[in-house]
Amino acid sequence: MIVWLLVLLGFGSAATTHTVEIRGMEFHPAVLTVAAGDTVVWVNRDIVPHTATATGRTKWDTGQLTQGQTGRFIAHARGTARYACTLHPTMHGELIITNN
Amino acid sequence: MSRSRYQAALTVAALVCATSLHAQNTATAPDLSDPEVAHVAVTANSIDIDMAKFALTRTHNAAVKQFAQTMITDHSAVNAQAAALAQKLGVTPADNAVSQSLLSGAKQARASLEPLRSAAFDRAYLDREVAYHQAVLDAIDKVLVPTTENAELRKLLTDVRPAIATHLEHARQLRGQLGSPSRTSK
Repeated sequence: MIVWLLVLLGFGSAATTHTVEIRGMEFHPAVLTVAAGDTVVWVNRDIVPHTATATGRTKWDTGQLTQGQTGRFIAHARGTARYACTLHPTMHGELIITNN
Repeated sequence: MSRSRYQAALTVAALVCATSLHAQNTATAPDLSDPEVAHVAVTANSIDIDMAKFALTRTHNAAVKQFAQTMITDHSAVNAQAAALAQKLGVTPADNAVSQSLLSGAKQARASLEPLRSAAFDRAYLDREVAYHQAVLDAIDKVLVPTTENAELRKLLTDVRPAIATHLEHARQLRGQLGSPSRTSK
């Protein structure tokens, strides 16, 4: 009974951590679907530094990540969150944030 | 010199011509050892860092400033890796005719940019960056990677290639935004 109540209240859906690799001057995957409350971690595998920086109205930014460094973002608002690398404007990514 | 090495040497010469914009004697392009490849790579990075530093003293365009800053950041990161690898392998980068030609070409490019100001400078700087990065890509593909014997040095060159390609695309996009001289110069 208590377990059912917890599930109904949303305590049963644990947040997930997703990883986006930055390698070869691209985000992998470039498009990622996550649930609200999930965490997205970017890890830079390239020699050169990168950022994952929101380009939409909601502002977030991993800051500059050198090789091997990671940055994270907790997805809150539902919708599509587009982002880019501020150092390399040809690099783009997208988070599709769904209901928890 | 074998046929493939001779062709590779000619491509290096083409790189030198593309960057220095002056005629070179292709017959004197050397066959490169690994220490010489390392020296060429470090020299090519350093040249673009110096050019970007110069651009930062001249440009007033925010996007061009950002591009130049990225060139400094990225090529410095590559050179740091190259230095670390050279130390690990016990290799001392060896000066050579190609590196010297690159430096000579960079000196000429700098001289051609020297009298320019404002939008004219931005356009010329980006034209030069497009040509330079294209030439470096060609050199990586046709000369540096094929002639490098050490696997780790070859991997470093291969790993760097996407960054050079991205710089080229960035420079092209930015140059396109600045328009042609006939539309923007006063």
